[in-house]
Amino acid sequence: MATCTGCSLLCEDIEAELSGGKLSKVKNLCRKGHGHFQSAFSERTVPMIDGKKVDLDQAIARAAEILRSAKSPLLFGWSNSTLEAQNVGISLAEKLDATIDDTSSFCQGILMERILSGSIPTCTLDDVRNYADVSIFWGADPSSSHPRHLSRFSYYPRGDKRQKSYEEERTCMVVDVRMSATATLCKDYLFRVPPGGDAEFIEAILSVLEGKIPRLGDKKKMIELGGLLKKAEWGAIFPGLGMIYSLQDNMEVFERLIARLNEITTFKVIPMAGHFNMRGFNELLREKTGYINRVSFEGGAASHGPENSVVAAAKTCDAALVIGSDPLSSLPFGTARALARLPLIAIDPRRSLTTDAAGVVIPAAISGLEAGGTAVRMDGVKIKFEPIIKADLPADEQILSRIMEAI
Amino acid sequence: MVGLEVSIVTVRDIFQDEAGRHSRFSEEYRSKSAVIILDRQDLGSLGAKEGDLVAVENDTGSVIVAAVASHDDAHPGLAIMYNSPWSNQLVPEAVCQSSIPGFKSIRATVQPAEGSAAVTDISEIFSRIKG
Repeated sequence: MATCTGCSLLCEDIEAELSGGKLSKVKNLCRKGHGHFQSAFSERTVPMIDGKKVDLDQAIARAAEILRSAKSPLLFGWSNSTLEAQNVGISLAEKLDATIDDTSSFCQGILMERILSGSIPTCTLDDVRNYADVSIFWGADPSSSHPRHLSRFSYYPRGDKRQKSYEEERTCMVVDVRMSATATLCKDYLFRVPPGGDAEFIEAILSVLEGKIPRLGDKKKMIELGGLLKKAEWGAIFPGLGMIYSLQDNMEVFERLIARLNEITTFKVIPMAGHFNMRGFNELLREKTGYINRVSFEGGAASHGPENSVVAAAKTCDAALVIGSDPLSSLPFGTARALARLPLIAIDPRRSLTTDAAGVVIPAAISGLEAGGTAVRMDGVKIKFEPIIKADLPADEQILSRIMEAI
Repeated sequence: MVGLEVSIVTVRDIFQDEAGRHSRFSEEYRSKSAVIILDRQDLGSLGAKEGDLVAVENDTGSVIVAAVASHDDAHPGLAIMYNSPWSNQLVPEAVCQSSIPGFKSIRATVQPAEGSAAVTDISEIFSRIKG
């Protein structure tokens, strides 16, 4: 059995053969996982310095030189690396007095912070499978982002206390601005919010829970939702980026809703982390510094703040190392341009806009396929995996260790 | 022609994600990323039909992408794009206190592309980023 590192569900029941440039005898891979496994055969990187092929030692030496001479380097990415690599990365940041940040900085970070500090109650996905009678995907579309979420955990399986499952015992709801792919599965329970309207929507739910008529939205629909929430025996909410980006600085209102729901019944929250080990980085950095992301080690002590986010630090740092991430594709144009103008080191198994812009490219083994290690699933469960393909490429952890030794 | 003012929400799509895992530089990735999903009446008000190229522009940048007719209930003024280098050309850097860019609140103008225009190529986007 293999573990798929295509998303943060870290499915451990994958059967597949990868040989001779082909993927065959596949069982249990979703479409996203299939794409992830097949990516082993396309657009692989080679060691490069300023667009010219070099050997690995030269690329690592040049990366060390750039980082050594930088006054305020930024180390960014991390969500697609194992805990072992993240651990070395944090040590490297300490050694360099650098800023370190990961993708949670513009993703699930503001919610994950509350989950890890215990201010919002959470549970494991196995608990969801065994006990949940209500699952709410809020600004999340797992049919696209985490395709096996519903079949393994939240809707279709027969759990310990949910043997009659989706036919009789489970209700799946979606809160979204649109009819997403997931919403088509539970059409009757799609609750629409206008873009940016999640805070008002929550206030309306809180009113309904108090027995008041909501001032906003479709009153009948809101009263129906309030009834469903009150009737739930054991509910789970899965917030996606739709909710995070809508609430932004107003996450307190969601915290209030969860506290109120837990006065009535049981409701747990699991953030729909995207990359396979985003939560792992958040937990590890928190353990070492007290902060889940956006940390600067300048002056020898860890400090935290928005100025250390990749979006801000891209404009103030004087060199950047990007690992397992393609910020030139996934971040706004202004941030991408700022990063592209820096002395840039990219550690990545595959070609991207970021590797094309980087002065130094270091190829790495794909975690889960060509390199083993440990990662933390979206619900906090640690998963250990072994490689399933033999590759001569070094793992992220080895590359980072070699860079650190050379500095 | 006066353009159509829209608010763009970016979302994920499994087919586009899969194409990106094969290659960010492929025609398949471009054709699945460089699209904007518009309300049917909005599309009609532009005098455009499914598959026509449209120019999407704001203070941050501009791209030419293919228009797709929405299958959802009416949502005038709301457009959908998939998170990609194309949508990120339009994402404002103006951020909230939490320093999160406005990926799901992009104000932009949409209008039919000029006759000779082609979908913005990934190489063009890369050149802009590299400056």
